[in-house]
Amino acid sequence: MTKPNNTLKVESLCLQYGDNAILKGVSFDLNPGEVVSLLGASGSGKTTLLRAVAGLEHPSSGRIVIGDSVLFDGAARLDLPVEKRGLGLVFQSYALWPHRTVFDNVAYGLKLRKVADADIRQRVDQALASLDLAHLAERFPHQLSGGQQQRVAIARALVYNPPVILLDEPLSNLDAKLREEARSWLRELIVTLGLSALCVTHDQTEAMAMSDRILLLKDGRIEQQGTPQEMYDNPASLFVADFMGNNNRLNGQISEVRDGRARISGEGWSFWGSLRGDAQPGRAATAMIRLERVRVADGPGDNHIALPLVTSMFLGDRWEYLFHPGHTRLRAYGERALGAGEHWLALPEQDVWIFPG
Amino acid sequence: MRTAALSRGAVISLTALTVFTPIVLIFYQSLLNAPFFMPNTQLGLDAYRFVFDDPDFYQAFGNSLMIATGMLCIAVPMGGALAFLLARTDLPGKRWIELAVLVPVFISPMVLAFGYVVAAGPVGFFTVWLRPLLGETPWNVYSMTSIALIAGLTHVPHVFLYSSSALRNLGSDVEEAARISGANPLQVALNVSLPMVSPALLYSGVLVFFLGFEIFGLPLVLGDPEGHLVLATYLYKLTNKLGTPSYHLMAAVAVCIIAVTFPLVLLQRYLLKAASRFVTVKGKAARQKQLPLGPWKWLALALVLLWLWLTVLVPLSGIVLRAFVSYWGEGVNLLDTLTLAHFREIFEQPSLVRALINSVLIGVVGGALAVLAYTAIGLAGHRRQDALSKVIDYSVLVPRAVPGLLAGLAFLWVFLFVPGLSGLRDTMVSIWLAYTVVWLAYGMRLISSALLQVGPELEEAARVTGASESRTRRDVTLPLVRFGMLASWVLIFMIFEREYSTGVYLLTPGTEVIGALLVSLWAAGSIDQVAALSVINISLVAAGLAIALRFGVKLHD
Repeated sequence: MTKPNNTLKVESLCLQYGDNAILKGVSFDLNPGEVVSLLGASGSGKTTLLRAVAGLEHPSSGRIVIGDSVLFDGAARLDLPVEKRGLGLVFQSYALWPHRTVFDNVAYGLKLRKVADADIRQRVDQALASLDLAHLAERFPHQLSGGQQQRVAIARALVYNPPVILLDEPLSNLDAKLREEARSWLRELIVTLGLSALCVTHDQTEAMAMSDRILLLKDGRIEQQGTPQEMYDNPASLFVADFMGNNNRLNGQISEVRDGRARISGEGWSFWGSLRGDAQPGRAATAMIRLERVRVADGPGDNHIALPLVTSMFLGDRWEYLFHPGHTRLRAYGERALGAGEHWLALPEQDVWIFPG
Repeated sequence: MRTAALSRGAVISLTALTVFTPIVLIFYQSLLNAPFFMPNTQLGLDAYRFVFDDPDFYQAFGNSLMIATGMLCIAVPMGGALAFLLARTDLPGKRWIELAVLVPVFISPMVLAFGYVVAAGPVGFFTVWLRPLLGETPWNVYSMTSIALIAGLTHVPHVFLYSSSALRNLGSDVEEAARISGANPLQVALNVSLPMVSPALLYSGVLVFFLGFEIFGLPLVLGDPEGHLVLATYLYKLTNKLGTPSYHLMAAVAVCIIAVTFPLVLLQRYLLKAASRFVTVKGKAARQKQLPLGPWKWLALALVLLWLWLTVLVPLSGIVLRAFVSYWGEGVNLLDTLTLAHFREIFEQPSLVRALINSVLIGVVGGALAVLAYTAIGLAGHRRQDALSKVIDYSVLVPRAVPGLLAGLAFLWVFLFVPGLSGLRDTMVSIWLAYTVVWLAYGMRLISSALLQVGPELEEAARVTGASESRTRRDVTLPLVRFGMLASWVLIFMIFEREYSTGVYLLTPGTEVIGALLVSLWAAGSIDQVAALSVINISLVAAGLAIALRFGVKLHD
């Protein structure tokens, strides 16, 4: 469906409100057929970036290009009006027009493009059918459930075949349970239709599940970008490591450094991990390990530490254990309830990252 | 894109021109030593010198200050208490009381003042009935104290409106917390609820004080017998002080009034911004639960009913009675004197019949046109932050400082002064224009609150889908504010029926409206006709109110 030359290129985009810089030089590409997520905490600029691509925010400098057409060029003072960009945007609130039926909501974009009435009917019907909405065509938005409204919003954004579809927190208005179903449904839809999608989310699991690539934003800059696996398994900074996944963080001091590995020690514990960055012994550092990589071991061993158990919590599919080494906490998963007292925990060396700082 | 920008520019410049021309004219006229139409007028400060040498001016200023202060002291505590009772407690009969509370807002002050004269004046109905019981009458409606008291009582609803909407935004958890800590309902109100809405109370206090400098109808009717002048009536009496129309003197007084009201308008604007910040900080309104008053509720109800009796029932019953009887007095059975003669008289006079038709037209057609004008201005400023939207901002703000009487006078000058407009002077166009400008701020508040309810993303969605700005307005914004526009139409209808002072100087054969005629008939002493016209005026407003209630129009925010 998408033409091969429809790559979205964003080049060193800057944007500010008054003196407040929101985007500080963001660059990335979105290739045809690719799903890219903009991930970040609130205030990181991810929504602003999406809206700037749509043309709803006005950057101060940089370039936004799709294929051969320039949407924004700060140097050439070119800022194509929103309606001329021909993109599709699914709003967080869905923003369905309450005074129009589902059919009319979806048909509006085609009507504006002066498509013949018969074609409009056929294309809207087809879009509604492919999203399983055909029977709701004559309803008004307030007569639909949240999930149905979301599908109408998507149909409205897709019906005129935009080169890129923009999704602003598309799942955040759904119930937790519905959200996981909608996530796989949305991924399937994007892949089967071969869409190029740019998606904003603050939920790292959602970002990993939905996208081919993730851009993690922090304070208006891209902190790291890569495939979900790269981001999860090979974070470049403490921030990225901490943002992705559920983590244990332990603050301590580096006591030994050897071939890219370091030994970190705290109150009553000490273990090895892979060193991320440069550090000399004696420097303060943070050790980080994903919750699911910590194992409860039978006894002492390499990189094993003994800690007192505070409590075990039953989560349904597994147990979560809480330990208190000194003033911090350490959490781990397991398959059975643990008795009170000290337990040995295995921290595989390659799964422990040590960030000096 | 280009046509949209052009029409926006046209709307804004037309608005600014319409608003600022009359005001500039007032200032210009105040600096001339004679009315502008006289030959050989010169620039100078003679007009101000005359006014500042006139002891009556100082008396009028002092009286205005006293009335404004009295209104502040009466209306703020009572309005706050009323708001607390109606918004937060289980007072019985709230629905009806809330409706009755708004009556003084929609009834012309001219009519109310007249109602007090015929009900409680020296030979009023209530006075005559109560005299055998009380011996002599313990009150005098013509004294300054009475004027200030009546002005205060009739402005309670203004305070009520602002504080009740603030109180409704307050979560009831803060009050429940006070109850659990051991506070009784009165302590809850005084220690928790009212302090938390103090920005709204402060704002409405300044508003009432400001209105105190504007009031015209009440002091005109009640102050006349004993010669109490306020600034607006002083200006009105100046009309023919020197034989010829003393426009330069009136302009000088007008500038003095604006010098007092404009800072108050700026203060209100500042406070409103501060108050809305206060509300935003509070965030979403939490669950609302009524505070049970227990045995207190009968005492509270009695006090509220007493206020309603004094402010609504006494003047309205007086005026209605007066319109339907031929005479009254001690020992006279009113049933024997019932008559429709006063109404028949009205329908026999062509100018009065014209006034009826014009009044309905200005409300229905004029109101609709005004709403369209307000919507055009509202759309021109919708979601924009640029120099032009600042122009709109001030074009809406500045006329608030000009009371209706002055605005009517200034528009009279515009129609006399600006070549090409004199042909419109004797038509309803002049009245419509003056009304529309005088109520610009009120109308814009109605329209912009309707516009603000349209979520920005609904408009953005249309833009992203490919609609231009003007297309978005047409396809999304306007259809969504349609109900808001209809609701505004009903409210503007009532306001235009109620209006009286703006038409006073524009009154000529052809432009008669009931409001302005009441003023001139009262001056001429045609009390029978005033009574009958007042009843017709009240019925028109009541019709608007009935429509508003039928269609669920919110009478306030």
